[in-house]
Parts: sequence; structure tokens; C-alpha cells
Amino acid sequence: MSTDGTVDGVVGIFRRVLESDRVQPDSDFFELGGDSLLATRVLSAIAREFGPELTLADIIDAPSPLALAKLIEGVAA
Amino acid sequence: MPAYPDGTGADVVQRFLRAARRDPGGVAVADGTTEVTYAELEDRVRRTAAALGPQGGTVGVLTSRSSDTVAALLGVLAAGGAYCPIDPAFPEQRRAALVEAAGCRAVITTGSRPAPYGVPVLHLEEAATGPYAGGPLPLADPEDPAYVLFTSGSTGQPKPVVTPRRAIAAAVASLGALLDIAPGDRVLQFASLNWDTCFEEILPALTRGATLVFDPDAYSGSFPRFLRMVDRQALGVLDLPTAFWHELVNHLTEGGEALPAGLRVVVIGGEAARPDRLDDWRALPGADRVRLVNTYGCTETTLVTHAVDLHGPYAPPRTDRAVPIGRPLPHVREQIGDDGGLLIGGPSLALGYRGLPEATAERFAVLPTGRWFHTGDRVHREADGVLLHQGRLDDEIKVRGIRVSPGEVEAQLCGHPDVAAAAATGAPLGDHTAVVAYVIPRPHADSTTLATELLGYLRRNSPSHLVPARVTVVPQLVHTASGKVDRRRTHQLYASSN
Repeated sequence: MSTDGTVDGVVGIFRRVLESDRVQPDSDFFELGGDSLLATRVLSAIAREFGPELTLADIIDAPSPLALAKLIEGVAA
Repeated sequence: MPAYPDGTGADVVQRFLRAARRDPGGVAVADGTTEVTYAELEDRVRRTAAALGPQGGTVGVLTSRSSDTVAALLGVLAAGGAYCPIDPAFPEQRRAALVEAAGCRAVITTGSRPAPYGVPVLHLEEAATGPYAGGPLPLADPEDPAYVLFTSGSTGQPKPVVTPRRAIAAAVASLGALLDIAPGDRVLQFASLNWDTCFEEILPALTRGATLVFDPDAYSGSFPRFLRMVDRQALGVLDLPTAFWHELVNHLTEGGEALPAGLRVVVIGGEAARPDRLDDWRALPGADRVRLVNTYGCTETTLVTHAVDLHGPYAPPRTDRAVPIGRPLPHVREQIGDDGGLLIGGPSLALGYRGLPEATAERFAVLPTGRWFHTGDRVHREADGVLLHQGRLDDEIKVRGIRVSPGEVEAQLCGHPDVAAAAATGAPLGDHTAVVAYVIPRPHADSTTLATELLGYLRRNSPSHLVPARVTVVPQLVHTASGKVDRRRTHQLYASSN
């Protein structure tokens, strides 16, 4: 999958988990009201849809769909 | 020697030493690739106790989650002292304030530099490998403090709860029997070592010959990693915050996964379990052979006072009622006040809040029938004796199992120069509760940037459980007829505009 496709996929995951339409590729998960428990839902969805089993430390370091997509592509490559 | 109340077992240190004598080569703690036997752990415990000396008193322990901290905990208890965890993640100022409020006479740390606490600082590794005094350990009185932990205070200052050795002995004996912990059991160490829940995992395991397991995949936030870890570590016992368990159930249900084969019992507690997640759990492959045990307790009444099997081999036939919090454990006395509030009596009551006689008198009532703790939880007793939780008598919130007094959050917010007034309350976030706050800015403040500024300010200065998920700048707060801020109605007024 292209990076664009991955970014769109993660934006979709954020929107579902945060129940918010305001999510953009550069939105910060924690600034939008996400916390460590909701983050586990993002991590589960990423593992199911893309494969890589990212951790809480990953989403703290890369809190936007754009940054997470890079991480997913990096792990999958 | 002073006696322990009948049926509540001996001091936890004596019970640990007995387990070590029974099987010195058994594994007490597994941490990554390291395994520490009961004999090795006893050695570290005795050396730590020797380094601390026999004078008792409260000892602050400032370390991260590791097997070495378990030796420090037991070492402090073996020296006749009281353990006081100080979270290294807390801001420096708060740590120093906690050391002082708890009255610590020494601090054990893994840090390389001595911290400026004004008390002697011992290095964890040096204490655990120092000279070995040998001989019997100091005899501790059952009324001596075993640990000091902080709980949220409505005035903005955390309250130090002082728990005596008889309380921890009674609670650990009941819990060990309830969960049937035995040699060969492998128990996950999941809770932060800075909250009392960790004693629920550590002490029943190490007083009954079981193995306590540390594994970084448990705290990774990744459920695929968590579940593989449960299999790989052959864990039989998990003790999880209810909010985390809700997410585990979501993950298993969405993936159509089965429960790990070796799992024997899953303990949950800390907040209300959702009936819909319980239904999802019951439908999971393998759930029928795993005990799912709901628990209830307060820091002031020591670990767990109530428990009930919700599902699995010992659970009663299901009913359509709300999820019960349980019935009293053998060491617990309970009564329900006229206001529906739950009162707890018996040997597991704390001594009180250190240095706060008025707050102690307010919550610990001395009646002709003994000493009783006002939990502040409203309950209803069912015909079969289980209690149903029906909310709070005050505004206290539970966030990931940690009690948060809205007043403490508001006091932190009002510490910022741009805040004139604040109201905090709990609001649903996913399947759990989060803190939300509303603030009125001072006239000179920039309202457009204040919310972001305040979140940054709190993250720098407050522990994470006191940082709201959302701060909203508002023109006014809603007040009650008597002029007090009405937190719920303030939230209701503004929540829909978010």
C-alpha cells in the first residue's frame, strides 16, 4: 500500500476511535482528547489492518496519522 | 510477641520467609531473562533490612517497575519500617512534598545523584548487596505502619493514608485464599509499584510460594503483544484495572480470539464493570473455564474488601441485574448507613491520614460497634448478599482505578496565573471515565490559547491522573442555590457544544 493509503487508513482509525470528524493527517491523537486506553484501540486496529504491532511508546513519539503511517511503512518494509 | 487477630494470618514478612524455607530454589520473581529464587530474594531482603537498621519509620522508595523494587518493599517491611512509594515520573517538587508529607526518614533510589530531600538516601543495589547482619529480623507490632500511600484530597493536597501491618496481613490472607494462589502459579505484576494494587499481586504470590512475573510486553499498550506474553509466560493469574479489561475484551471480541489456554483467574477492579463488556467476555471461546472476579476496595480499607465471581466455574447462574461489586471477604465487616453509604469495619482499616486529624475523624467513625470507615460509595445489598454500586455520595471520580477529587484538579488549575476559577468532573471517554475541566480566564488572559497552555502547565507540574483529557475555557460556571459550583451542571451546559 502507498504511504497515502496508509495515512488515509490511520486517519480513519483515529476518526473511529475518537468519534470525531476533525482528524487530519497532522492531528495529534492526545491533543484531540485521546488517552493511553483509547490508544490501545488505535494500536489494535493498526495491527489488524496493517500488521505491525506498534506500542504505546510509538504513538507517544508519533502521535499523528502521518507520523504513524511512516512508522507502519518502515516496519512493514 | 504481639499477636495478630485470629484467622488473619501472621505478618507478611514472616509468611514470605516461611514460603522461602519451604522451597528455597523456587522462582520468586521472573523479570525478563532473570529469575530470582526465593533464597536469593530472601538474601536481598535481609541485606536491605540490615542497611536500613532496626529503628523502623517510613522509607520512601523511588524506583521504576522492576524485580529489585520488590526486594526493597520486603526489605523495608523486614526492617520493621513502612514502605512509601514515590513515583519517579512525578514532578520533582511533588516528589519532595510527598517525602515530607509521609514523614520519610530515608529514601531508597536507583538514581546516581542524591536527591535533595533532606533525609539520608540509600542506593537500591548497594543496600541489597551490602553487609549481611544475619540473626532474627526486628519484631514488628501489628499496629506499626506497613506502608504510606497518597489518595486525592479535596483541598488540593494529597492525603497520606497510613496502613498498619495487621491490615495488610488480613487482606493478603483473604485474597490469597480467594484466588487460591499456590506454588507453581505464575502471577503477572501489572500494576504500577506506586499504587496499592501492586500489593494485591506481589504479596499473595510471595507469601504462598508462587512466581511473580514482570514483562515489558504487559505494559506496551499492544494487545497482540500482551496476549502472546500471557501464553509465553504461562500466566495463570491476571489482576487488571477494569478500564484496561474493557479494552482487552474489545480487542478479543473484534478479532474473534480465544482466551490464552493457561489462564486460570482474571481479577478486575477500580471502577464499574460494563454489563455489555461482561456479555462480550462470556461469549469468548475459553471464558467458561476462567474465573472472572470483580473486586472492590479503598486505600483506607486495604486492597480489596469485596469480591464476587462474575463468570467461570464458580460463578452463580447469571442474572439480569447490574454488575455486582461483591460480598465482604472473611476479614471484613460492613454496614450500610441511612444515606445508603457503605461503611467498612474490621482489621483492614488504616490508622488514618498522617498529620490530618480532622480529615481522619471525618472519614473514620468511632462507634460503640468499633471503628468504621465511610467509603463515600452508595450501595444496595441484594438478597444473596452481593452489593451493587450506586454512585458516590460526593463528587469524587475514578480515573483508570485511581481516585481523583475534583477539588485537587481545580486547585492545580487555579495555581496558574491566568485562571480565575475552575470546575472539574468525570465524563465518559470510550469505555472509561476521564477528567474534563472548565475554566474562567482572568481578564488579561488570552482565551484562545489558554486551554492548550493549561494542559502543558499541568503535564509539567501534576501527576498524569490529575491532568484532564480536555480543558474548555468558558465565560461562567453554573452554581447551586447555596452558591457552590455545580460541577455536573457546568459540564452538562458546555458538553454539547464540544
